[in-house]
Amino acid sequence: MATDRSRRRTWTLGAAVLATIVILYLTTGVTSGLRSGANIVVTPFNWAVNAIAHPIGHLLAGTINYSDVVAQNQKLRYQLGQAEERANEAWAFSRQLEQLTTQLNVPFVGSLATVTAQVTTVSPTNFAATVGISKGRDSGVLVGMPVVANGGLVGRVIATTANGATIRLITDTNSSVGVTFKTGQTTLIVSGRGPNNALGASSVPLGTAIAPGTNLSTDGLNGGLYPAGVPVATVKTVSLTPGAATYNLTLQPAADLQHLSYLDVVLWEPAA
Amino acid sequence: MRRVLVPATLVTLVIVAIQLSIFSGLRFAGVVVMVVWLWPLAMGLAGLTALSLWCALVAGVLFDTHTTTPFGLTALVALLLAYSASRLGREGVGDLDSAAWWVTPLLAATAGFFAPLLFVGASFFTFTFSLWRDSLLAAMVVNAVAFFVLARPMARLARWVGSLAGARR
Repeated sequence: MATDRSRRRTWTLGAAVLATIVILYLTTGVTSGLRSGANIVVTPFNWAVNAIAHPIGHLLAGTINYSDVVAQNQKLRYQLGQAEERANEAWAFSRQLEQLTTQLNVPFVGSLATVTAQVTTVSPTNFAATVGISKGRDSGVLVGMPVVANGGLVGRVIATTANGATIRLITDTNSSVGVTFKTGQTTLIVSGRGPNNALGASSVPLGTAIAPGTNLSTDGLNGGLYPAGVPVATVKTVSLTPGAATYNLTLQPAADLQHLSYLDVVLWEPAA
Repeated sequence: MRRVLVPATLVTLVIVAIQLSIFSGLRFAGVVVMVVWLWPLAMGLAGLTALSLWCALVAGVLFDTHTTTPFGLTALVALLLAYSASRLGREGVGDLDSAAWWVTPLLAATAGFFAPLLFVGASFFTFTFSLWRDSLLAAMVVNAVAFFVLARPMARLARWVGSLAGARR
C-alpha cells in the first residue's frame, strides 16, 4: 500500500508536470525554443536508430517487393515518357497562358516562381497531416506560401527554419481551402478530414450544378490563402445532407498525397 | 531512483527515436503505433511510479516537439497512462511473473484503445475541435492490437531498467 507521503509526492509531481506543460503551451516563445532544443537532443538517437534500422528495412523491403519495384520502375519510365511528351505540348500553351495572366493581372500559379524541395519527414502522429521539407527561409520559403506537387495543391507552409519547413497538407483536419469550379461563380470551402480520409465540402447549396468528376481549383479571392487556378480536388460523390437542404461532397485530392517525394513551394504570399 | 534515472532517460530517448524513425513511418491501416505511450505504461505496470511519470514526460514532450498537434497533449496522455498503470503495477497487477501471461498485454491493449480517445478528448481543452474528424476508431483499434503484441517485450525492458535501481519503488 502506498503511504500518504508517497501519494502526496506523486500528486505534487503530477500537478507540477501538468502546470509545466500548460505554461509551455501558453508561452509559444518557450515552446519554439523547446522544439529546437528537443530536436538537438533527439537527433543523435535518430541517426543511430536510422543507421541500424534503415539498411535492415531496405534489405527486407527490397527482398519482399523486388518484382513490384521492377514493375513500378517500368510503369514510371512509361509515365515519364508520357509526361515529357505532354510537357513539350504544354510549353506553347503555358507561354500563351503566362502572357494572358500577366495582361489580366491574375496571380495564376503557372506564372509564379517556385522552389523545389525534397520531402524529408512525414508527420509522426495520427492526428496531423504534415510533411517536412528540405528548403527553408534561406531559400525564400516563408510561412503561408502554397505548396504544389503531383498535379495539384498539396498544402501550405506553416513553419520554417533556416533550412527546412513544415507543410500542412490539405487533408489535415485544420486545413480549409476556398475553391471554385467551371465558370467560377460558386465558391466552396474544402476541408481536410485527416490523412487517411477523402477531402470534404459541406453546406453546398442545392442549386449548385456540381456532379462527380467536377474539378475544383483555388478561387484566388482577395485575401485568400492561395493564388487562383491551382487544382485542388475532383468530386467523388455528391450526397444530400441529412435533415438539411444542402449537398455534402466527398473529394479526391488532385495531388497524390500518399507518394510525395519532391514538391514545389510557390513563392507567393497571401495578401495581408 | 537517481541511479536508474540516467539509464531510464537514455532508454526513453532511444524509444522516442524508434518512434520517430520507424513506427511513425511504418503505418498499419494508416495508423501510427504510439510506442511513446506504451513505454511509460510498461514502466508503470512494473511498479515504477515516479520513473514512469518521468519517462512519460520526457517521451511525450520530445515527441510533441516533432508534431503540429497542440504542444503537451502527447505528454499529458502518456502521464495519465503511466500514472494509471503505476497504480495497478504497485498492486502487482500485470506482473510478468505472478500474473497470467495475457494480463499485461490485455491491460496494455485497453490502454492502447483508449489512449487516442483520451488524446482527442484532451485536445478540446486546448480549443482544438477538429482532431476527432480523423480515423479515431482505426487509431484506437490498431494501437490496442499493437500494444497487446508489444506489451510483454516492453514490460521486460521496463523491468530490466527498474532492476538497475536494485528494488521497486
